[in-house]
Amino acid sequence: MEMLRTENIVKQYAGHKALDDITISTKKGEIFGLLGPNGAGKTSLIRIINQITGPDSGKVYLQGKEIKREDIARIGYLPEERGLYKKMKVKEQALYFARLKGMSKQDAKKKLEEWFEKFEITSWYDKKVEELSKGMAQKIQFITTVIHEPELLILDEPFSGFDPINTELIKSEILRLKESGTSIMLSTHNMNSVEEICDSIALINQSKLVVNGSLKEVKERYRTHTYAVQFKGLMFGFANALFASFALEHSEQIDEDRAIAHVKLLKGNTLNDLLRTVMPVVEIEAVNEVIPTMNDIFIRAVKGETEEGGDENE
Amino acid sequence: MKMSKIGLVIGREYMSRVRKKTFILLTILIPILVVGLMFLAMWLGIEKTKHVKVLVADPNGLCEGEIFIGQDENPPATFYFYEDFVDSADFAGRADFQEYDVLIALNPEVITNKKIGGLYREQPNSETTTYIRNKLELRLEEYFAKHKGVPLETYREIRTPTHFKLKALDDSPDKELQEIAQVIGLVFSIFIFIFILVYAAQVMRSVIEEKTSRVVEIIVSSIQPRKLMMGKIVAVGLVGMTQFLIWIILISVFMVVLQSTIFPDFSDPSNWQGIAETGNVPGQIQTAMETSGERSIWADAIYHHVDWVALIILFLIYFIGGYLLYGSLFAMIGSAVDSETDTQQLMLPVMMPLMFSYLVSIMIMGNPDGGTAIAFSHIPFSSPIVMLQRVATGTVPFYEVLISLALLIATFLMTTYLAGKIYRVGILMYGKKVSWKEIIKWIRY
Repeated sequence: MEMLRTENIVKQYAGHKALDDITISTKKGEIFGLLGPNGAGKTSLIRIINQITGPDSGKVYLQGKEIKREDIARIGYLPEERGLYKKMKVKEQALYFARLKGMSKQDAKKKLEEWFEKFEITSWYDKKVEELSKGMAQKIQFITTVIHEPELLILDEPFSGFDPINTELIKSEILRLKESGTSIMLSTHNMNSVEEICDSIALINQSKLVVNGSLKEVKERYRTHTYAVQFKGLMFGFANALFASFALEHSEQIDEDRAIAHVKLLKGNTLNDLLRTVMPVVEIEAVNEVIPTMNDIFIRAVKGETEEGGDENE
Repeated sequence: MKMSKIGLVIGREYMSRVRKKTFILLTILIPILVVGLMFLAMWLGIEKTKHVKVLVADPNGLCEGEIFIGQDENPPATFYFYEDFVDSADFAGRADFQEYDVLIALNPEVITNKKIGGLYREQPNSETTTYIRNKLELRLEEYFAKHKGVPLETYREIRTPTHFKLKALDDSPDKELQEIAQVIGLVFSIFIFIFILVYAAQVMRSVIEEKTSRVVEIIVSSIQPRKLMMGKIVAVGLVGMTQFLIWIILISVFMVVLQSTIFPDFSDPSNWQGIAETGNVPGQIQTAMETSGERSIWADAIYHHVDWVALIILFLIYFIGGYLLYGSLFAMIGSAVDSETDTQQLMLPVMMPLMFSYLVSIMIMGNPDGGTAIAFSHIPFSSPIVMLQRVATGTVPFYEVLISLALLIATFLMTTYLAGKIYRVGILMYGKKVSWKEIIKWIRY
């Protein structure tokens, strides 16, 4: 089921387009990663979804209905530029944010107590934020984002600025929230965490949507048809046998007579063709497809390489 | 109970301000200071007109041992009579003369040469000297009248001063009164100027604080930026109103308490030389110099000429209007910068009209109905400061106030609208030194 959809979003700032015709869609209960280099337009898109700014054209739909002002109560937002009122007491502050999201005072108090007990920080209630350490403030920040139990949680660079312990804590909380049915959208630079937790991704580069789909689909699309072949025999013979139908990307020697070679299939050849070609020359020990990492995909997409096999042939 | 979001913002902004130590301190200290200064001024005023005991050496009994004192007078001196000559050595040395401050020698020749002389231990002020002279002159005139066969009662009736007043044909108020009223108006202008500046700057600081602490984006994901800005402006305005109200209450309470306890005499207006009006009681003799002219005009202006109710109501209305206008502009500046030090360059065009209005309000002293005054009391950027001064003189037609207020309201609606647009963009803009040119562009974002 669809959770969020943006349709042909365009946003222009004096002389430069921040978002150019962005259409994405996220499913209910999934973790959606919004990727892209700095200045690509991720935050602009997130702000439009949060109704902080409006698009020049295009629409945002929440569960199939055009998003309304009241819907912000259903969204939890952790901006990239985040902070708390330094002089305000922790409890008052958390209550204030919760009530701004539309919670009643009683409900907010109850939820707040639950979260504070969970994070074992009830002793901080009457502390001012300026008395807390950065890590402590980050916990409060996270609680204020999720206290009103949003259906959609939008986290802009959630792993930047948090210390490693809090990053782990938040990662596990994100996964737990997903378990309980919350849909999550996060923007990040951290490609490892994308592989770890994202179900779908969209990659924005220079205001345009470059890649979009489930993690599996995207990886499929960015297959390079490259295989790592581990064999016993001479590297020289192996390389010679490949001839024009395959390209040797790189190789490494494991010991005196064993090596691993990364071979790319060219001109519609299959793995079977490759095996047939090299079997007479060397003794094959293992073959694995080289799956592109999100990092590779990210870099390739940003550099403007086309999908399906890169820039070499076609 | 669920509160509206703007209500929540106002509540938070308001409470966080009125709970500050500086707010509490200032709110209590200012009335203490004001009342303290007022009483100090009164005390010094009374000290200055120290009561003087005058010994009149009257060997011929010309005064018959009495000097006529009107029933509502507050004499700065009391006369005592001694029916013999007193020389300077006696006045300096004799123990029973030590209580007197001034010695007047009323020699028998005074009837013919009209010369009265005297000695003082400590020079009495000019007012007291004049009083002593007038009383003695009057007594001598009475002596002459009696000896020329005019009954005392008749003479005193003749001597009752005539109340003389020139009035303008078109019923416009007395020029002098108007000038005094304008000074009072100027005080109000200065107050409005200061309060607008102080509270508008508070709005700006609060915007900058939210921006630098990076809390603002979280807030605007829950409430529209315009509402957040308005909530802030309203809250700071309410803080200002709260402060006014507490000041008024505290000052009144302090005055009453001090009056009834520590200084019961001081606060009795009849003890304030000259400020108390001299009533026109038949049979009472007043000399022209008895109350100095300037002072009675001040009293007249303060008690009768200035419409305090209108002035205070308009003060509040113009303060709110001017504060909203400048507050929104200051909020706009606050949203565009990353720290308070960056505000200076942007402040100039906003501060200029404010400072200029202040100068205008001083310039138009003495000509509150001239072209400059009329123009600047209509221009919304200066009207809160200039108009009050004109209103105090009581010559401003009601329709002019209405036009000026309508323009002010229209302008602050416009500035808050524009400020809202700019604020919305500015609060999310970091690390960029902006110019007004850049800011104007944001209106179209």
